[in-house]
Amino acid sequence: MKISYNWLKNYIDLKVSPEVLKDRLTFAGIEVEAVEELGKELKQIKIAQVVKCERHPNAEKLSLCQVNDGTETIQVICGATNCKNNIKVAFAGIGTQIQDFKIKKAKLRGELSFGMLCSEKELGISDNHDGIMILPDNAQVGSDLAAYLGIKDTSYDVEITPNRPDLLGMIGVARDLSALMKLPITLPDSKIVEINELIEDHLSLKNEVPQLCTRYIARMIKNVVIKESPEWLKKHLISVGLRPINNIVDVTNYVMMEFGHPLHAFDYSNIQGKKIIIRKAGQNEEFPALDETTYKLEVDDIVIADDKRAVALAGIIGGENSHITTQTKDIVIEAANFLYSSIRKTSGRLKISTDSSYRFERDITDEVAELASRRACDLILEIAGGELLKGKLDSFPSKKDLKIVSVRPSRVKKVLSIDIPSEKIKEYLTALGLIFIEGSKDDLKFKIPYYRKDLTREIDLIEEIIRLNGYNNVPTLTRSQNIMNKPVFYARRKVEDLLINYGFSEVINWNFGDPNDIDKLKINKIDERRDFAKLKNPLGESFSIMRSMLLPSLLKNALYNINHGQKNFRIFELKKVFTRKDEKLATEKLHLSGLLCGELDPVYWKNDSVQLDFYDVKGIIEDILNELKIENYKFQGSDEQFYQPGLGAAATVDGKIIASFGKMDPKIVADYDINLPVFAFDIDLDTIFTRDIFHDTIFTNIPKFPPVLRDISFVISKEFNYSDIVETIRKSGKNSISKIVLFDEFAGKNIKEGFHSLTFSLILSSDTKTLTDEYINNILKKVNKVLKNSYNAEMR
Amino acid sequence: MKEELNNVIASAKKEINDVTSMHELMQLKSKYTGKKSILNSFMQKIGSLSKDERPAFGQTVNIAKIQITQLITAQEENIKELEYSKTLRSESIDLTMPGRKRAKGSLHPITKIWREIEDIFMSMGFEVAEGPDVEDEYHNFDALNTPQDHPARELSDTFYLDNDVLLRTQTSTVQIRTMENHPLPIKIISPGSCYRNENDASHSPMFHQVEALLVDKGVSFIDLRDILNIFVKKMFGEKIESRIRPHFFPFTEPSAEIDIVCVKCYGEGCNLCKGSGWLEMGGAGMVDPNVLEKLGIDSEKYTGYAFGLGMDRIAMLKYKIPDMRLLFENDLRFLKQFS
Ligand SMILES: [Zn+2]
Repeated sequence: MKISYNWLKNYIDLKVSPEVLKDRLTFAGIEVEAVEELGKELKQIKIAQVVKCERHPNAEKLSLCQVNDGTETIQVICGATNCKNNIKVAFAGIGTQIQDFKIKKAKLRGELSFGMLCSEKELGISDNHDGIMILPDNAQVGSDLAAYLGIKDTSYDVEITPNRPDLLGMIGVARDLSALMKLPITLPDSKIVEINELIEDHLSLKNEVPQLCTRYIARMIKNVVIKESPEWLKKHLISVGLRPINNIVDVTNYVMMEFGHPLHAFDYSNIQGKKIIIRKAGQNEEFPALDETTYKLEVDDIVIADDKRAVALAGIIGGENSHITTQTKDIVIEAANFLYSSIRKTSGRLKISTDSSYRFERDITDEVAELASRRACDLILEIAGGELLKGKLDSFPSKKDLKIVSVRPSRVKKVLSIDIPSEKIKEYLTALGLIFIEGSKDDLKFKIPYYRKDLTREIDLIEEIIRLNGYNNVPTLTRSQNIMNKPVFYARRKVEDLLINYGFSEVINWNFGDPNDIDKLKINKIDERRDFAKLKNPLGESFSIMRSMLLPSLLKNALYNINHGQKNFRIFELKKVFTRKDEKLATEKLHLSGLLCGELDPVYWKNDSVQLDFYDVKGIIEDILNELKIENYKFQGSDEQFYQPGLGAAATVDGKIIASFGKMDPKIVADYDINLPVFAFDIDLDTIFTRDIFHDTIFTNIPKFPPVLRDISFVISKEFNYSDIVETIRKSGKNSISKIVLFDEFAGKNIKEGFHSLTFSLILSSDTKTLTDEYINNILKKVNKVLKNSYNAEMR
Repeated sequence: MKEELNNVIASAKKEINDVTSMHELMQLKSKYTGKKSILNSFMQKIGSLSKDERPAFGQTVNIAKIQITQLITAQEENIKELEYSKTLRSESIDLTMPGRKRAKGSLHPITKIWREIEDIFMSMGFEVAEGPDVEDEYHNFDALNTPQDHPARELSDTFYLDNDVLLRTQTSTVQIRTMENHPLPIKIISPGSCYRNENDASHSPMFHQVEALLVDKGVSFIDLRDILNIFVKKMFGEKIESRIRPHFFPFTEPSAEIDIVCVKCYGEGCNLCKGSGWLEMGGAGMVDPNVLEKLGIDSEKYTGYAFGLGMDRIAMLKYKIPDMRLLFENDLRFLKQFS
């Protein structure tokens, strides 16, 4: 439904801008789906005065005018015959956008023109193109045309929720805003000037379906003059998206938009037998409607009929046979209400949706019919003349008393958990039109106005109370203290699961340790892992400290299992390690250590068994670091003495060591009575978890152009290491090489001592183009050249 | 010439039907129907015929060509079918031989229980809190309302690093630390390692415990009963009831011990429950107002419950592990059972 800012101002003195009103509506529960600024196409049009108008020296049909726009006098050439001295006109200066064109400086028959005097058609105000628009003398020179004409308005397309039929008109919205914004509301007062002639002498009413037609009021006006509506009325209708038709139809639409209650006007001369009968339609009764379609009705449809035929399909659409025409003189104004489910059924079956059916389907109220009827009669008398007959025909078969609903302030507190005093509750609810009747301390009784059918229970009133108090004025409580570090919590589980999938079994050892283990692993004399957290009363020497490393325990687990016949195993432990020097308590850091021994894969009848090697451990470390989204890690030789010389590596990030891994020194392992090759790793999870690694994946575009795969192979001295070579290839590839995969390494036959052959797969791709052979060959040439120059590599 | 053509068709038919490979068939295709084929050479001879004979002859050659092409197409289908059945034969295997598997690892049973407990409580809005293993006496005893001369403070019961630095004997320490550092309400569990100076068949000097704490307005004994019931049923199954009975802990008042129906005999009485039908699970109670007041919390406004459960014991009961020592021996034959 559309509502208009200017129209609302008829009832309530909105002290806020259209932008602010949009927010107010939204927080009142009236969701604004779209906002339209009306008259913005006239934004640059000013009211100006023609100070001098003479004939163009070189053109008979043109006049050369001097126009004052309030700030200066401008020369404009005009072709309209009604252009005269001293008239007030709509002036568009240089740069103004009118419909599809922009006003520019122009030269017409040797004279310059700096703007345009506009016709109503050019301005989109009407279809009038007989000369330029001439404004009344009181129009202020230099002011905004749109504002002067009252076209400047803001229209809101709002969603009215099904529980609030009272908001289907401007007055309902204004009433809600008045309660929310604490502003007084002014409703149109009713005069109802009647003549002495009685309506009963001209018309009778029979409601045959009191269950389906819950109210029917007919009033009659004689001798109206059908014509175009006045400007104010047309403007209001246009502002809410309705098309002006004639003064009578426009009034019924206007009142519908005002009260949210649809009306219908009949041409009295077409009502046969002076009778209005509300009845069920006959099966297959044909009804020619206003929309030039003849509908076939069913017995459940309600029609408004005269003696002979249906003149309207109740609540949905009027009849072709009885509508207002230019010849109409005497009219009958219908203000009625029908059972919403019946209207919904009929309009749904016949697929007719009108502003009228939209409202009747939403269960509007019987009582408003009378207000709307009176208002319509007042307006018709005002703008179409005529005489209102005395009295009305009114069928109101099931008039009900106003409902009374109680609310307990204690219950309000219980539901909302905020204190709203009784006085405040009364204030809020009476602002909405509820009438306070009586109340003890914890029981306030309110009479519910007829237009708020949705308020039937205490909880409905509580909803209104909190709505007026403001949903967002309820304090927020923090129920969650964010105590746990969820990313770390899940990262830890992720690493554990990854290792499980690699075939590792988790072990849990006592956190007590033996200081001698640190010597056995040849840990440096000044290493912090020698700052033992010593127990005063240990279970024994071998349990006398809190472990500063996990590996010794793992070696003992390994020996236990080897002694029990296991030669292929992988174990890990993820636990705190402890050191203590000057600190009061201890430094506790989370570490992850693992041992691997034996074959790469379980025995399988199709494959020869392969023993684990350094690169298997390295792959696991790389997988863990990748899983934890550590970027830019590098590898270097490890300083740990417990790895076999040349087979221990460290992973670093920003120069900080985060992990070590490799093959354990056979001598040290032998010290633990193990005579098998053992691989180990130790990861400082604590340091990793303090890094900012827990960001979400951000989508990157999937390449539009297919990648190209090329292999290169060369013989190179073993003194150069792989990571440098890869870096060289990457750099020489000018961003076109997206992936470099080593897929073969070979030494021996036909290759010089100290050299080996490396074969790489290069994946070349581009985000912007398909790579041509020529382009790729150039890249490869460059790569070859750089490899030759940097490493004396021999391409194969 | 027509006879000659018939001979060609006959020999083509024979040759085509005899080939068994696609390659040979393609050779025949070019021999008979290709540019330099026999049939094309017939077409070239058309010039030697009279004008009247030409159309009829041309048509005959074309029909011959169509016939041969059809023969080739048919044979192509035969060969494809042949090759397909060859593939089926060559790829046939013994479906009963073992499949290829990756080595499968295993989480330690305590970790499995640990995770399960975390998930149960997190689904009910608890957060997981952590604290140090090496604690001071204040957080381990004083703040928990344990008197100076309490026997638990003895060296024989507690591992000390210094006079007032020790290995925590319970993870209740984390409750104190959390209440010190975060505003109320607090709803946490704190799983972790604890230590007591004892080592025998039924006691490990290091063990694992989870403590739960809820401090908020309006927390009552009924909430404690409820959470214990929910937890026990989620952990051990709908059949397992729990009960609490009066006990003493310095930091809760009223205090209780938690029993669950024996998971082995379901209350009938057996060797596991020593005939009682019940198993002891841990301690519980309403947080002692003294504990709250020491932390500056208004114990009139706020109340709370706390309880502690042994995770090692839960693992043993749930997985029917008969001996506690198995948990820390790290025998792969034991560990791999939990893969
Ligand atoms: Zn039992």
